[in-house]
Amino acid sequence: MLFSSIPFLYYFLPAVLLLYFLSPKKLRNTTLFLSSLVFYAWGEPIYVFLMLGTIACGYFFALGIEKYRKNAASRVLLILSVTVSLSSLLYFKYADFFISNINAATGLSIPLLGIALPIGISFYTFQILSYTVDVYRGDVPAQRNPINLAAYITMFPQLIAGPIVRYIDVEHSLSDRTSSSEDFAYGARRLILGLSKKILIANQLGELVKIFHASQDKSVAFFWMYAIAFTLHVYFDFSGYSDMAIGLGRIFGFKFMENFNYPFISKSISEFWRRWHISLGSWFRDYVYIPLGGNRVKKGRFIFNILVVWCLTGFWHGAEWTFAVWGLYFAVLLLAEKLFLGRYIDKNRIVAHLYVFLFVLISFVIFDAKTLPDALSYIGAMFGAGEYPLANAEFFYYLRSYAPLFVIAIVGATPALKHFIGKTQLGRRLTLLEAPVLCILLILITAYLVDGSFNPFLYFRF
Amino acid sequence: MKNKITWISSALLLAVLTLFVWFYPKSDFSESERRVLAPMPEISAESIFSGDFSNAFEEYATDAFPFRDAFRAIKAYTSKFVFNLSDNNGVIVKDGHLTKLDYPMNTPMLDHASERFQFIYDTFLRDANTNIYFSIVPDKNFFLDTLKLDYSALVSYMKEKTPYMSYIDVFSLLSLDDFYRTDSHWRQECIRDIAEHIASEMGADISAEYTENVLDVPFYGVYAGQSAMNVSPDTIKYLTNDILNNVSVTNFDTGRPETSYVYNFEKANGRDPYELFLSGNNALLVVENPAAKEKRELVIFRDSYASSLAPLLVPAYSKITLVDIRYIQSAMIGSFVDFQNSDVLFLYSSSLLNSSLAMK
Repeated sequence: MLFSSIPFLYYFLPAVLLLYFLSPKKLRNTTLFLSSLVFYAWGEPIYVFLMLGTIACGYFFALGIEKYRKNAASRVLLILSVTVSLSSLLYFKYADFFISNINAATGLSIPLLGIALPIGISFYTFQILSYTVDVYRGDVPAQRNPINLAAYITMFPQLIAGPIVRYIDVEHSLSDRTSSSEDFAYGARRLILGLSKKILIANQLGELVKIFHASQDKSVAFFWMYAIAFTLHVYFDFSGYSDMAIGLGRIFGFKFMENFNYPFISKSISEFWRRWHISLGSWFRDYVYIPLGGNRVKKGRFIFNILVVWCLTGFWHGAEWTFAVWGLYFAVLLLAEKLFLGRYIDKNRIVAHLYVFLFVLISFVIFDAKTLPDALSYIGAMFGAGEYPLANAEFFYYLRSYAPLFVIAIVGATPALKHFIGKTQLGRRLTLLEAPVLCILLILITAYLVDGSFNPFLYFRF
Repeated sequence: MKNKITWISSALLLAVLTLFVWFYPKSDFSESERRVLAPMPEISAESIFSGDFSNAFEEYATDAFPFRDAFRAIKAYTSKFVFNLSDNNGVIVKDGHLTKLDYPMNTPMLDHASERFQFIYDTFLRDANTNIYFSIVPDKNFFLDTLKLDYSALVSYMKEKTPYMSYIDVFSLLSLDDFYRTDSHWRQECIRDIAEHIASEMGADISAEYTENVLDVPFYGVYAGQSAMNVSPDTIKYLTNDILNNVSVTNFDTGRPETSYVYNFEKANGRDPYELFLSGNNALLVVENPAAKEKRELVIFRDSYASSLAPLLVPAYSKITLVDIRYIQSAMIGSFVDFQNSDVLFLYSSSLLNSSLAMK
């Protein structure tokens, strides 16, 4: 089920809120768990059993890991747990990718399995992995109540597109939490703002991207406009979803970590990744990069660690070479920054911003491409390779049409407005307007949903 | 205090809208969009496990939303006045007219249309001693400063593909005012010169006096509903005279002849008042004129633009047959139409040629 849909906003959510707050405190996790199953089953009726099976494995392995702590069996159980979780992910997400590559490399014709990707499998697998690893490390005790663990893994606000909430961060809230009016207000604010980002901005930019792909009359300028539109589209789509997840979590008394922090104001690629999809970046840092030795190793090993982590980060996004190249592209940039580039880009803020803007833009062209040759031809076209005119009527038409949306999106992707309000003391006056503004936004969101057609969430496919 | 106001107002609005969604009576047809709204899907284990139920429910929930037209209007005005987007659902408001973006030129669609024409020519016309004419009606965008087709390229392309037809240009005789403001079609009272020009190119004399009548039904054209904006309706005017009053119209839509009308007032009071003209889109329609000075026949391969133009050609012909190959297989036409010694006119709008997949 999509957050940005009429069934969610006007059927599922009101019903769940009603049930949840009418439930006795002891049964609230059960209510949340069952609601989340309905939420997941709405889009994935069959795969709900796969998810439950994966959770059951995580539950029992964690109990075993804790029981045999400081014993070789604990390590064996951890390895088994990781193997089971990753096997499921590898099978459902990567099997056809491996088969098609084996076929291409060997000339064999092993039939593809044609498995549909279970929604959110990358997110909930990573949550279970981090949970069992944390139990193994002794950072958290194993959860004895299976409903509590299942409520955590399946919690619908973050189930299918993150942020990747770690068990350690919500452990106490699972057994003891309250929802104050402050939490409600914060949650409603984040939910409505997230929906606005998704529906009013991301979806419309997505329409432009769709128009670009369908266009038979492209130009160099149109390629650049597409690259900017797609980059902003991904940002508003995903950060909007994270806002909704954080807001919904808060309404139910959970505090999820922030997933975005104005990534486009970064002055380096390493800063960009500290601000973009923070929960994924920190997951790879804590569960892959640091266990591999991080940067406290020899230079060769350090380079190897970075390449491994970013190749995996790329593949996490999808079973395509474009995603692997996308990850390795960032690995190369990060290594360049660490080894020599950093000292140059630090010297000039404008150059640093332009550098990040340009390379991030190119990265999202790779991210969006179906194949590597497509990515190369798009990037080439942006720089004049290909026989495209510099600009044409179609470009100018859509530039005129979408210019205000670009301005809103670009300003909205930076903290400029927030700083302006803070500096000019407008904040106090604006707080009085908060409630009516949120109500107007809810009405606008509803209007766009009632009359809308373009509404996919990009990160659902991961 | 601020937090309380925020959450109470948001929750209250959500609750009120939810109550409306759950309990407000549902409609099954949208007048403004001219379409049947999605019904509540039936629940079964199969539909749930296949995911069909959730997809169908999503459509139902969106279609059945209370005050749907008001919400669609809010979206349309926000798109236009807040985001300044040129179009809403593809509909553009320009120079007081509503129109739809039709861009760019779709060569495979033009090829499909010309293949269909070629098939008709090869199968029925080549040896039938016919005079074959072709005319393209531009859509309104031709007259507007917006992103539009390269019309001259489209015309050249189609002329090149149809060397067996004599092309009749009507672009230069038309202006924006010849079209309804809220609809794609041209106005019958403004296209008498077009009819005369086409007839004269075919060597026919259609001069006649007409009385201009006003249809007593507000005409919200096809774009009015799609735009979701509050627009004033058009007025439909139609031309009558003794000749038209005495023609007989036969509709072969069902395969059997059924009496029909030049101006169908029942249809005019229906969902699309433009169907006043020759009852709208029909596979096969025959107009017979007993007052014709000579026995002369015309076959028009057409789309909906011909519905309002064909009556104006009646004075010169004893019989006009209108064929719409969107609703009848081209191969079947021979069973119903005798082309021998007829004039044949292919009259198509640029928008249909550029999106011709429906031509069979």
